[in-house]
Amino acid sequence: MTPMDGFAGLATIDGWAILSILAKSLSYVAALGAMGGVLFLAVFRAADPGVRTLARRIAVVSALAILPILAVRFGIQAARISGMGLDGAMDPFMLGIIWDGPRGTLAIWKAVGAVLVLGVVLDRAVGTLLSLCGALLIAVSQTLVGHSLGDPRLVLASLLAVHLLAAAFWVGALIPLHRAVIAPDGAALLHRFGTLASLTVPILIAAGVAFAWKMTGSVTALIGSAYGVTLLAKVAAVSGLLLLAARNKLWLVPAVAARDPNASTALRRTIKAELMLVAVILIATAVLTTVTTPPMNF
Amino acid sequence: MRRFLVAALAVLTLATGAQAHSALDSSEPADAATVAVVDTIALRFKDALRVTSITMTGPDGEVALTREAGFDPATDFDGVPPADLPNGDYTVEWRGLSADGHAMQGTFGFTLAK
Repeated sequence: MTPMDGFAGLATIDGWAILSILAKSLSYVAALGAMGGVLFLAVFRAADPGVRTLARRIAVVSALAILPILAVRFGIQAARISGMGLDGAMDPFMLGIIWDGPRGTLAIWKAVGAVLVLGVVLDRAVGTLLSLCGALLIAVSQTLVGHSLGDPRLVLASLLAVHLLAAAFWVGALIPLHRAVIAPDGAALLHRFGTLASLTVPILIAAGVAFAWKMTGSVTALIGSAYGVTLLAKVAAVSGLLLLAARNKLWLVPAVAARDPNASTALRRTIKAELMLVAVILIATAVLTTVTTPPMNF
Repeated sequence: MRRFLVAALAVLTLATGAQAHSALDSSEPADAATVAVVDTIALRFKDALRVTSITMTGPDGEVALTREAGFDPATDFDGVPPADLPNGDYTVEWRGLSADGHAMQGTFGFTLAK
């Protein structure tokens, strides 16, 4: 590795590393969409049919996107480890090396999970059960590669899986909630989501902070490493997201329930802003897991 | 569902021991060193890594290195350069796949002065 001045643990960032970050961000979107759509459908069974249809569509499209994104990421990874550019991306030997590693195991678990998520189209109990298993498999698949393979393995993997499922519940609900604002009885759904999120978001944050602490180990490492600085950028974006969410829960959702004519527009605008912040968070996470080394590995 | 959870738990528990990033611990010659002889280009990693690509460039262009091992994960990698390398500055660029699935790469340089 070639640490850049001032930031320990920052890998070389070339064009393929940037492509890798972008593809990984997309893979996060697909995974969170698939898991989140499933969780939304399982939790909000009485939601407006139009909102449920949107959540189902998000789950299906995201699940279908998982496989091609996996394939593209294999190619990018092969290009990176071979140093052969596009030829390396299609080199069977390099692709085989990746398949034999943890990324191959991840691909199998994630692909099976994606297929099971398609159970949402059944709209029956068995479909719900299959899709929930699929969501769990996708979350577990993410623990089979990357920083969570460090020690203590079980603790890190559990923290990451819980973090991902809680994040998916939030992120996967944003677009259906955006629709719910203008749906009949949408205010009740928004209120219920807010109540549940007040339980899941603290879990999301606690799991994320515990994982990050295991990776960094000290405040000094947080400031003096590329991993730490990127993590702080992610935390800043998450803080913004929390402020928007608090504004929604405390002011805008009650105003929508009270049929304030301006509240619906403001709430929909805020949910869009949340989505943009989520994009920033996912890119920061992709940077974190692609080109930085956690201080615990120094 | 319970069976699945038990299986998942078993996989997670049994899969312990794998380490994260396999950072480069040291190299021979060391980075920025001036040496009189180069018998071997040696890389020492903190954790097992598959070295997938290694190139050495000198004053006369690229220098072929003979790998002493295959592509299996290892903490030690040795490559043998040809004899009678000319004096000058050399750069070694390596790439590999770490135990946690991360693509790793790095560069170091040395000067040969016989």
